Amino acid sequence: MLSLTLVLVLSAAAGEAVTERYADGAAPSSAPAPALTPAPSRSGAEESGRPGLALARSAEQPTPTTVHGEASHHHGGGYRIVQWEWSYVQTPYIIAIWLLLASVAKILFHLSQRFTTVVPESCMLILLGLVLGGVVLIASKKQLYQLDPGLFFLFLLPTIVGDAGYFMPARLFFDNLGAILMYAVVGTLWNAFCTGFCLYGVKQAGVIDDKVEAGLMEFLLFGALISAVDPVAVLAVFEEVHVNEMLFIIVFGESLVNDAVTVVLYKVYISFVEVGPGNVQTADYFKGVASFLIVSIGGTLVGLIFAVILAFITRFTKRVRIIEPLFVFLLVYLAYLTAELFSLSAILSMTFCGIGCNKYVEANISQKSRTAVKYTMKTLASIAETIIFIFLGISAVDKSKWAWDTGLIVCTLIFIFVFRAMGVVGQTWILNKFRLVPLEKIDQVVMSYGGLRGAVAFALVVLLDGKHVKAKDYFVATTIVVIFFTVMFQGLTIKPLVKWLKVPRSTNRKPTINEEIHERAFDHILAAVEDIAGLNGYHHWRDKWEQFDKNYLSKLLMRKSVYHKSELWEAYQKINIRDAISVIDQGGNILTSARLSLPSMASRTSFPEVTNVTNYLRENGSGVCLDLQVIDTNPGAKVEEETETHHVLAGNLYKPRRRYQSHYSRHFMTAGDQERQDREVFQRNMRSRLESFKSTQYKRHKKDRSQKKRKGSDAKEQETIEKPRRNVSWQDKDSAVLELCQSPSVAPPSPTCGEKNLPWKEDVDSLPPCVSSEATKIIPIDLQQAWNQSISSLESLASPPVLQEPQHPHVNTLSRLAAPTRPPSSAQFHFPGGKDEEDESALSQQQQEMQPLMLSRRQLPHSLPPSAALPSGKRRNPCVYLRSLVTPPPSNSVPHSRKPTQL
Amino acid sequence: MGSSQSELREHDVQELSEKTGFSPEQIRNLHKRFKNLTNNGNSLSRGDLENIGDLTFNPIRSQIIDAFFDKRNFGQDEVGTVEEIGFEEFLTVMSHFRPLKQHLMQEDKEKIRREKLRFLFNMHDKDNDGIITLDEYRQLVEELLSNSAIEAQRIKSIADAAMLEVASVTMGQMAPDEVYEGITFEHFLQILKGVEIESKMYIRFLYVDTTPMSCGK
Repeated sequence: MLSLTLVLVLSAAAGEAVTERYADGAAPSSAPAPALTPAPSRSGAEESGRPGLALARSAEQPTPTTVHGEASHHHGGGYRIVQWEWSYVQTPYIIAIWLLLASVAKILFHLSQRFTTVVPESCMLILLGLVLGGVVLIASKKQLYQLDPGLFFLFLLPTIVGDAGYFMPARLFFDNLGAILMYAVVGTLWNAFCTGFCLYGVKQAGVIDDKVEAGLMEFLLFGALISAVDPVAVLAVFEEVHVNEMLFIIVFGESLVNDAVTVVLYKVYISFVEVGPGNVQTADYFKGVASFLIVSIGGTLVGLIFAVILAFITRFTKRVRIIEPLFVFLLVYLAYLTAELFSLSAILSMTFCGIGCNKYVEANISQKSRTAVKYTMKTLASIAETIIFIFLGISAVDKSKWAWDTGLIVCTLIFIFVFRAMGVVGQTWILNKFRLVPLEKIDQVVMSYGGLRGAVAFALVVLLDGKHVKAKDYFVATTIVVIFFTVMFQGLTIKPLVKWLKVPRSTNRKPTINEEIHERAFDHILAAVEDIAGLNGYHHWRDKWEQFDKNYLSKLLMRKSVYHKSELWEAYQKINIRDAISVIDQGGNILTSARLSLPSMASRTSFPEVTNVTNYLRENGSGVCLDLQVIDTNPGAKVEEETETHHVLAGNLYKPRRRYQSHYSRHFMTAGDQERQDREVFQRNMRSRLESFKSTQYKRHKKDRSQKKRKGSDAKEQETIEKPRRNVSWQDKDSAVLELCQSPSVAPPSPTCGEKNLPWKEDVDSLPPCVSSEATKIIPIDLQQAWNQSISSLESLASPPVLQEPQHPHVNTLSRLAAPTRPPSSAQFHFPGGKDEEDESALSQQQQEMQPLMLSRRQLPHSLPPSAALPSGKRRNPCVYLRSLVTPPPSNSVPHSRKPTQL
Repeated sequence: MGSSQSELREHDVQELSEKTGFSPEQIRNLHKRFKNLTNNGNSLSRGDLENIGDLTFNPIRSQIIDAFFDKRNFGQDEVGTVEEIGFEEFLTVMSHFRPLKQHLMQEDKEKIRREKLRFLFNMHDKDNDGIITLDEYRQLVEELLSNSAIEAQRIKSIADAAMLEVASVTMGQMAPDEVYEGITFEHFLQILKGVEIESKMYIRFLYVDTTPMSCGK
């Protein structure tokens, strides 16, 4: 906290310095108002994510006048070694400080797990904002920072809405579309009108002070802006509550869709207020209705058009994978801006763009781009949300902006709460007549209580023109209080309430393959039964849509290569990848806890643990929730284990030489990590074997020669490892090597990987992990061949699973669960039980004497064609069988062409 | 239309309504549809269902149609299949998709859930041996994926993977020589416990009207 305050004072002081400098250095006429100077800092938060804009801004940022003033100010005489270039870096500096502040604040909140479970983050951020605002106020005597509507609508809001729209669970959204539309349109209208009229009535009754100069139109305007449920607040609060998906999507969907209503009401009333209530003609009301239709439908259409464009573009990004995420951000953002441009509902546009494109874009872009999009969106949204709440807090400290009227505030609070509850109950009553899953009483309570107001209302009220709306200051104060009340009080209490009411929580996990299969089956069954019953119901139309989508849309918008894969296949693939990761996590565990010295066997015997990890991951996976924090809220074992694994991998795998070789390209990603790891591990092991081979065959002097050739640190490292190696017992080394190759071997996101570790672990396990980078130069010709073959088989490991999987369904399926259980189909398939364990140790003991022999023997498996290797009683050497299974189709591997880069 | 409705006597409607839980109005509507499907006949055959145009693209059409001719779904503890069904059977099968009544007790919900899942299970368990074997499961996945051009091998491996998943979820650790026979009903319940079948497997019969009948046949 202390550091925070420090940072803040610093930045505040800096801000002050800026303003002063602006005041005295630059031309006073062009100097922006103090409140505006920090404004770009907020915009900057978003700019970082939007390169185009960032460029544009940074181009205009350093105004010549200030730079010159600065220069003359400082360059008093001669050349200075150190220069104070504050005005030059000012804007980005303040942006960065704010972002840092917000991020550090987040870390601090999450230090105490118990604390964060009770107090929602949004509350803490607002409180922090209040504190910071106070500090700034004291430090600089006036409020420098406040939530600027323009920047809020142009930068902060779109990041959050974009994230929400893109990751919106589309199925859930459309399943509940009726309810969402109802609440968003009817509910918001109801709230707006009732609040407006009642406030007016109360005003007439004299409860509200006379100083609040507002007529009916003003109150209706205020009612319109205060009645809309706010997506940012809803997300922030609900993501921590984890109510069931249906409830969440209804409240959240409402908060997104009601934007159109709010926008139209707001604009209509503003125009009414401006022309004066007396001049409003009947036609204007109809125009208002028409405008609503245009704003909402137009916004949706703009969004969908951009979704189609985006999906279509990503079809062709195969060769420029690196900019795929950029397209997603740009076009989704453009959808928002375009809608703003035509004063349509930007939120609707962005939401529908996100929903619409998600399916096709996710299919088109690469896995890495997907991750990039996800993380960037979440990061941006999270930081935008943080900043919004902090600034809400800070804005509240600004006393010059608002005027307090208890009557107005209390009445508004009561009205919005009461009308929300009434509206929800009334609408739900109507909806339940149509809904097949009725909304229960507790759902209604949560929905009423979850009607949070937030930054959108604040930005709208700040946007009001003080000249036309005389009571603006009162409205601002009321809005702030309402937001604080809803976000803090309701946000704080909604969790206990949900618990107390026993609202069904979301399970928040990814579906298993089986669930996926059966859910797909249901859809078809339901559609079929509707057809048989002769109904054109929801399922019927969804089925029709899916056919249309399949036959035309997907064909148009998806790459040919992915078009044919069904969602089921995708789910299967994803689950496989997850399993692979979990196996790796397990590997990390094995490594650190050293419980298992022989993972090759142990991984099978200890398999329940693996499945547990898998299940654990699934349970903690993000599921369909729209959790902004989804990245941070999965801290658990998964992340830890992952980092652990990474440490281990980084520590053990790469050092030798890869580092020096890796090249940088802005346009292409380097080869996948997994691929490199696989090769690396393989090469290391291969080399170490060769080395020992060499040491027995060629005696000491050769090795010395090769050692001399090594460079700097590499050589040193080698030597230190080299020495002890000779003395350490084989047993120890064994485990080390096994660990080393265990994890990466499972790493490739390939369904077949689980089992593959077996063959070549078998093949390398009894060898020390030591590597000589030069060893390859002295491999005899016949060994070279073996080498190439093994590398080719390795490359097949790293290559996409698609290519080889069909060939080996047995291995594949077995690998998924590492087979304590095996499918009946492969009952004839015999695992090399514990037998090869013995083989291994036997081998390792004989190894030193048998080195040359072994090598020649190991060539054999490679030379066997895949078909020749059958499990028929080959227990003596099970790896032969397995390797042959794993050996890829010839088309796939091009070992010779790749060899030079390898060696 | 009028003639077909006259065949359904008020008494029958009451009886059927009690048996299946449909409202008399729904029953009358469904009866119209039944007549429409059967060309005003009294029994529905496989061909009648196969001729429904909208059904043509449904990948698991055959399984669904089979379900209508499966005695297990008629609620009379019989097994085997029939060639033709009458209106009552038609209605009984349909009643599996009836929406839940509101305000149900927890046990009732559980019971309905079991019934619905049993229906699904029977649909997949074709030979009625109480187990969805790997072959049956493969077939299901194959049909589900029949619209997409995925190679047979891969489909098989998906089914295998799913099967292994069931095995790992339901059986826990198995001895190396143990073989997982297939999905029993208990396992079926277990793997789908995360899916709220009781709130998903329903169809809005409320508005069965005569308009869609024109496109029936």
